Amino acid sequence: MTMSRQGVQPNEVIDRSTKLRFRWNGKRFSGFEGDTIASALAASGEQIFSRSMKYHRPRGILTADFWDPNLMVQVGDDPNVRAGHRRLESGMDVRAQNAWPSLNRDLKAANSLLGRFLTAGFYYKTFMRPQWLWPTYERVLATFAPGGKIDLDTPHAYHDKRYTHPDVVVAGAGPAGIEAALAASSEGASVLLVEHEHAVGGHLRYSSDAGDQAALTDLRAALDASDVEVLTDSTVTGRYEDNWLGIVQRNHPIAVERLIKARAKTLVAAPGLIERPYVFEGNDRPGVITSGAARRLINLWGVKPGERAVVFSANADGDAAVADLERVGTEIAAVIDGRTGGSVSLTAGSSRAVEAVMVNGTNGAERIDADLLVVAAGWTAPTSLLNMAGDRPIYDPAAARFFPSDPPSNVLATGGLAGDADLDGLRQHGAATGRLAAARAAAVRHRLQSRTARALPVDGDEPAWAPDERAPLGRDPHPELYRADTHGMVDMSEDISSKDLVAAAHEGYDSVELAKRYTTATMGPSQGKLETVNTVAAIAEARGETISEVGTTVWRPPYAPLTLGALAGRMFEPVRVSSIQPWHEANNVSIIQAGQWLRPDHYGDPAAEVRNVRENVGLIDVTPLGKLDLRGTDVPKLLSLLYVNKWMKLGVGRVRYGMMCAEDGVVLDDGVTGRLGEDHYMMSTTSSGAGGVWEWVENWLQTERPDWQVHVTPVTTAYASINVAGPKSRELMSRVCEGVDLDAEAFPYMTVREATVAGVEGCFMWRIGFTGELSFELHVPAGHGLHVWEALMDAGSDLGVGPFGLEGQRIMRLEKGHFIVGQDTDGLTLGPSTGLGSLIKLDKDDFAGKPELAWAADRSLPMVVAIQPDNPDVVPEEAAQIVRGDTNEILGRITSSRYSPTLNRSICLGQVEPDLAAGGTKLTVLLESGERIGATVIDHHAHFDPAGERLRG
Amino acid sequence: MADAAAFESPVVRNYPASEGGNLTLTDASATTKWLVRAGVEGPTADRLGARFGSSQMAPGGALVLGSRPGEWIIVGTPGEVAAAVADLAGLSEQEFMTALDWTHSRAMFRVTGADAARMLEKVCGIDWSDHMTPDGAVLSASVALTTCDLARNDVNGTPSYLIFCDRSFGQYLFDALIDAGNEFGLTVTASSAF
Repeated sequence: MTMSRQGVQPNEVIDRSTKLRFRWNGKRFSGFEGDTIASALAASGEQIFSRSMKYHRPRGILTADFWDPNLMVQVGDDPNVRAGHRRLESGMDVRAQNAWPSLNRDLKAANSLLGRFLTAGFYYKTFMRPQWLWPTYERVLATFAPGGKIDLDTPHAYHDKRYTHPDVVVAGAGPAGIEAALAASSEGASVLLVEHEHAVGGHLRYSSDAGDQAALTDLRAALDASDVEVLTDSTVTGRYEDNWLGIVQRNHPIAVERLIKARAKTLVAAPGLIERPYVFEGNDRPGVITSGAARRLINLWGVKPGERAVVFSANADGDAAVADLERVGTEIAAVIDGRTGGSVSLTAGSSRAVEAVMVNGTNGAERIDADLLVVAAGWTAPTSLLNMAGDRPIYDPAAARFFPSDPPSNVLATGGLAGDADLDGLRQHGAATGRLAAARAAAVRHRLQSRTARALPVDGDEPAWAPDERAPLGRDPHPELYRADTHGMVDMSEDISSKDLVAAAHEGYDSVELAKRYTTATMGPSQGKLETVNTVAAIAEARGETISEVGTTVWRPPYAPLTLGALAGRMFEPVRVSSIQPWHEANNVSIIQAGQWLRPDHYGDPAAEVRNVRENVGLIDVTPLGKLDLRGTDVPKLLSLLYVNKWMKLGVGRVRYGMMCAEDGVVLDDGVTGRLGEDHYMMSTTSSGAGGVWEWVENWLQTERPDWQVHVTPVTTAYASINVAGPKSRELMSRVCEGVDLDAEAFPYMTVREATVAGVEGCFMWRIGFTGELSFELHVPAGHGLHVWEALMDAGSDLGVGPFGLEGQRIMRLEKGHFIVGQDTDGLTLGPSTGLGSLIKLDKDDFAGKPELAWAADRSLPMVVAIQPDNPDVVPEEAAQIVRGDTNEILGRITSSRYSPTLNRSICLGQVEPDLAAGGTKLTVLLESGERIGATVIDHHAHFDPAGERLRG
Repeated sequence: MADAAAFESPVVRNYPASEGGNLTLTDASATTKWLVRAGVEGPTADRLGARFGSSQMAPGGALVLGSRPGEWIIVGTPGEVAAAVADLAGLSEQEFMTALDWTHSRAMFRVTGADAARMLEKVCGIDWSDHMTPDGAVLSASVALTTCDLARNDVNGTPSYLIFCDRSFGQYLFDALIDAGNEFGLTVTASSAF
């Protein structure tokens, strides 16, 4: 087979005035604008494009389109590029895949010598035993893995995503699909027309018939004048519940790929037909191509496929290929007519090229010298979208293909998928389908509008569901041509032959679904588009059954493979920051991500930050602390229901700590709630629990106590929250506050006051803190948070004020013995285990978790305790196990640990078995290194200032 | 004591000035916003007028958004919003009703232009067609994975959308909207109140 570029063809898509230079396996080549990689290489005389997956047989062009299994190449760092589809670009570095050391001299072709042993199931049977050898098997097999090479250093490409809600999506822009789109649009529907190829027109694009070309011109003009949105080089990859469609757009100007999620009111499936290869000995030899490939090469890219051809034709497209070949000067050695019993038995030649074809034609069996065999053996109906909609297409032996059965009424088929007709007939059916799709979409639109609060009001009742009154398309007779009297390749992506399928059937894999998985037929990059029906036919033949009896596999999404990048789309990673973030970033902050929050972890030296708070005054940005604004007369009842302690008598201006348990008594969250006014409260939650507690509160209110008068509003970020902590905090606050007496007696521990701070009205501050120091927790309207923070820094410069981060706070709270829900507790920690059992008021009428907590009150439970290692310089890892002596019997674990710069020793919190919870108990802690260290439980949670004198200051 | 500080927007990055885009994005976070909650049907609902999913101008000039059943967002200048809130005085004696200043809680952006809906299609799964989301429509949705309230509020016949999100997500969302709008020639205009 010698391919070559010919003179200008009437309908070619190349621009011969724009030459593109590229490299193929390191050598320089050129093509034209509009070429695919494959057409440019073919025009330059290349015959071998790849090596087959298993046997490494040389492979040439088969279909010259997206589905061609032999045209997978590497382009730069992009593996598995479809050279039959990807447009040529200047400077492309194209390389063959799956060949070593080179495409022409592939040493792995030695596999073909082992072909008789590499049958279906070889892999499963051979590498099962001995199991201990599997790692070795794996390493060796990995070197034989097909496909291109991934460069892990490749920058992440920009992938995009779009959501859309068209009335009608038409999948496939052949003549029927275009007519459907136009008709639906003319009925007032919004229409998205999606075409897999680079241009609309379907089979008309590569037809040399003048009537076809005139029709194509008309259709394109009509589309241009319409409101139809046309996406080319795009594929409807999947149809999901209620016409939720995945569409991948490959030619978007700003993105490598765009994944479109479309909610179509009706879907029109018009994918056309895919030409099916024929199975015979040597059918994968370079020089054997489909009739569609011949016509595409000639009419789209001006490439002559060969010098002397045998054409095996069973339909009009095969006949048209003969005419096209003759026009470009290919000698037609013979036309073997499959409609009258003619057949092809095998090709002969080298592994790289066809030299002769054995045929059974009108002259009987004969050998015909030729370098090209063009095959037109029939069609596969790509029913994928119908399958995904739940349809089970039915095989018609008279037409030798599958047809739709009973798809849902919001999925309509047209074009070759639905039947056969001349061009006018297909167009008429498409138009009727478009009108029907629009009518049904109108009914859906009416329903959606009437049910959507924000939508325009609709008049009248929902329109009746339009009946399907389309005249059905016919079914042209076609011979059932699947396999000749010889065996050949069924799946060229996976190197599966008809012999493999027969063997699988004989081994008992007689279900097509099992045989598919056992042999991997149809599971390659072509995704069964070329192989499925031939696979079914081979199994049917082996079982002595019909194709209808065997049935077919179910096509699932995606219709065509797509990249993981397309599925991921744009990388949305929402992050939250406080209004003080600019100051942190300008002041040497080390950020830690806590959930979605970016928080200051420290500013260079957390131990120094701790010492400064203990000695002077420090500021920490605690904006992420959850804050819920509670209003209404029934707030005390709500608090009593959700917290384990009592709330009915909290006075205005007072603050109370509360622990919240779930219905199973497990600690859910904790925090303080202050009463700001008669019917106005502010609840604080842990930072990580803010969202969950809000949902918890709303859940109780909306489902259990809808009659209570309580409005809950999350205001976490309405306020910038700043904890001012340290012995000099009162002095600092006195310099910036107005309207509040900061004296310890006037504003004691566990109270709340409203104030003006640094000129900002509407602030409130709580006399609480997590650090164990005299603290004022300021909540400032967020739009002034940065101003107040900076004012505090300025006002306290002579007091030694400095910032401290989460790490410093965590050290200080551990020194003080405050536990953290979720760190020192877990999903099994019941309320009494925290050491705050006295907080649980079982004499309350009811509260969340009461039955379980009542049960727990009489039982011995693991306890949270403070622990100090005997060696003060050793800091056990968090989650280090507490064990019994030299055994591995687990008695508890360290839940928090740090080195205390205040106490100059290591300190911990942990959970231990109840009999180990008493102060003075000696423990053994098993470190990650395997070393065991001694530790002692101390009398109370606080390692520092257990009497709380400092925080009450 | 310091003077009263100016409002600090959650959008703190600087963006190069540009002109001539088909789409504009404005940070309007400084706009006064109040949240009102009351019964779905009752005197407050009657007074505010905007039913769930829709919006309408209050007599004093504030824009009232029916953001959820029994929940309204009032936006406008401080005076306009104050007038609208003042108009609710006394209703709490007739039904359980609360109103709170939400200005500092929510970032607020405005996207305006013929391609505004196409831009929003890139970050939000809502049907932006005129019949499903007409001028005046109000809804809640995920925008670039952030929970938002949105309102269509056309400007002189040009599609325009108000987007409200939790203040802490403001900078992130603003950048995500810029990224989504780049292909349409988005211009970031100077910050302004509503």
